Amino acid sequence: MKKFLAVVLALALVVALGASAFADIKVAFSQIGQESDWRTANTDSIKGTIEAHEGWELVYDDAQQKQENQIKALRNFITQGVDYILFTGVVSTGWDEVLAEVNEAEIPLILVDRMPDCADKIDYAAAFGGDFVEEGRRQVAWAGEYLKSIGRGDEEVCVAIMEGTTGADAQVGRTEGNLAALKEYPNMKLVAQQSGNFTRTEGQAVMESWLKSVDKIDVLIVQNDDMGLGAIDAIKAAGKVPGKDIIIVGCDSVKAAFEAIVAGEMNCTVECTPLYGPFVEKTIEALEAGETFEKTIVHPEEGVYDCVGGIDLGTVTSVLAADVIDSRVY
Amino acid sequence: MKKKSFNLSGVMQSKITWAVVAELLILLVCFIIRPDFFSIKYQPATGMLYGSLIDILNRSAEITIIAMGMTLVIALGGTDLSVGSLVALSGALALKFLRWDVLVYNTPGDYTVKPFILVILVPLAVCTLMGMFNGFMISRIGMQPIIATLILMVCGRGIAQIVTNGKQFTTLYSPFRVIGQGSLFFLPMPIIITAVVVIGVSLFVRKTAFGTMVESVGINPSASRLSGIDSKKIIMIVFALTAFLSAISGLITASRVMSNDSNNFGINFEMDAILAVVIGGTNMSGGKFSLAGTVIGSIIIRTIVTFVYYFGIVSEATMAFKALIIIVVIVLQSEPVRKKMSKFGKKKVTGGVQHA
Repeated sequence: MKKFLAVVLALALVVALGASAFADIKVAFSQIGQESDWRTANTDSIKGTIEAHEGWELVYDDAQQKQENQIKALRNFITQGVDYILFTGVVSTGWDEVLAEVNEAEIPLILVDRMPDCADKIDYAAAFGGDFVEEGRRQVAWAGEYLKSIGRGDEEVCVAIMEGTTGADAQVGRTEGNLAALKEYPNMKLVAQQSGNFTRTEGQAVMESWLKSVDKIDVLIVQNDDMGLGAIDAIKAAGKVPGKDIIIVGCDSVKAAFEAIVAGEMNCTVECTPLYGPFVEKTIEALEAGETFEKTIVHPEEGVYDCVGGIDLGTVTSVLAADVIDSRVY
Repeated sequence: MKKKSFNLSGVMQSKITWAVVAELLILLVCFIIRPDFFSIKYQPATGMLYGSLIDILNRSAEITIIAMGMTLVIALGGTDLSVGSLVALSGALALKFLRWDVLVYNTPGDYTVKPFILVILVPLAVCTLMGMFNGFMISRIGMQPIIATLILMVCGRGIAQIVTNGKQFTTLYSPFRVIGQGSLFFLPMPIIITAVVVIGVSLFVRKTAFGTMVESVGINPSASRLSGIDSKKIIMIVFALTAFLSAISGLITASRVMSNDSNNFGINFEMDAILAVVIGGTNMSGGKFSLAGTVIGSIIIRTIVTFVYYFGIVSEATMAFKALIIIVVIVLQSEPVRKKMSKFGKKKVTGGVQHA
């Protein structure tokens, strides 16, 4: 009986291996885990696109926020002989060795969302990620242009910037963009700058303190929507009207921010899209067709959503949030 | 109390005194930089008192409440690392029952909410059960507390993720708002809840023999067992109580922002709670404990955070700044420094007697 079982198992294994070897294209995706709604939407978008594509097979690994899991997954992908590897690194360092192994195996590597520090030392077929500096610039530019549109363009306004987790890519990039854009608008004066750690709770606590320590805040730039949603409560508790007394400009464009904009409690949110699926599809199709990409990061097309619509920011024109709220998926 | 004569050297040697001194020093620095740090006004929009000192008390609520339980855990000679995860779990469970997927702002009446009592009771009950699991692993299986609670610290957030499907829900259900943003007697509700918890736990441990039994188990478990104390039961109660208090803390955290966040709720709360207990003068090796000291410890931690926000310390330096102040506080309380200070105190007292 045991022998028989062993034979059946061996046969099953051979059939399974054979079947997978004959599948058209195997696309492996090493995702870092599920840390936020944004990440969930990101995973769903990429997984959904690959699974829906005819002739493509998805090999997915969720690393649960652990680098060692990801390294293991990447080595697994190599032994399985996948055709493409999509990779988002949980941290930026420590990938040199395993990514070199991927290169040696000559599997095209596509970097998604986050760039490892060793990106210039390794070969990759394509890279795709958000443009944090541009997002930061858009936040301030929107506030500046909006003030002009309501006739406050020459008035001196006080701006507070609530940053994300110190040292995170998004915080570094958006701060750079925020500060650079402030120089373009001499009427906007920076009066406070502090980290709210990208969370609602801390966003609320920081705003609560600012409302007491800073004499006047006209514009609040928050580097993600969650901190803005926290700040709204703090502003109300101080007897002020969020969205009116204090103009709030968020980032990410999560659904709750749209709701707040529609309710008039927030003014604008700059998009940072997680929907990478279509890009991944296009890239792999292009690579299959023999095209090559340059070693630069491709940025997705992103919008700006606000309470008025039609504000021209040079690279993009804002869209009225109420018009698109129903089509948002995250 | 009347029989006890005022003993300056004793006061100087008490760790609580130095915790209070440290807190007053930080506040003094605040006062020197910005006298209006102390201003407290009535805010008609919310019907609450409004000022930085109120903020400190308000925002220290979560840690103070957890630290009440942590004090007893540490008095037993243990630590509970799972409190932060339980805060996240409690918030997730509460929002699970308050969830709505429809547009929150547009249709505030149109949502499904389970009976409100469930929103409160389920998190409290589930977390208490988790605490009993901790207590069971420690008292019956004989695991070290730090290991036993590490299990829940790691998997608690995972459970919270499962509960809400990894999603962040937002609610506008106003009865739930009362817990974290409501007010009573012109004070924010978290302060009132903290006061009730602190008084409740103090009465429980000091008016019954429970506190003495905890200290006795913490100093010498076998001796206390021989003298008839059921140490297993004590451990069970203490860990269950700590988990229960973490659940209360989780409800406050969730109510403040009217949402759940399994990744970020209660992050580092275990460290802050342990720190509050240590600053408050309870020894990590167990035995005698001071609930009053813990309250002050927690307030000190929050004062530092508020200081950072209020005076706009650059975010890169925040951590180092906090560490610096905590080092000063701990050194102030250390044995050698206190001995020196108590000698100084004695001299003064004897000097006074000679003059008289």
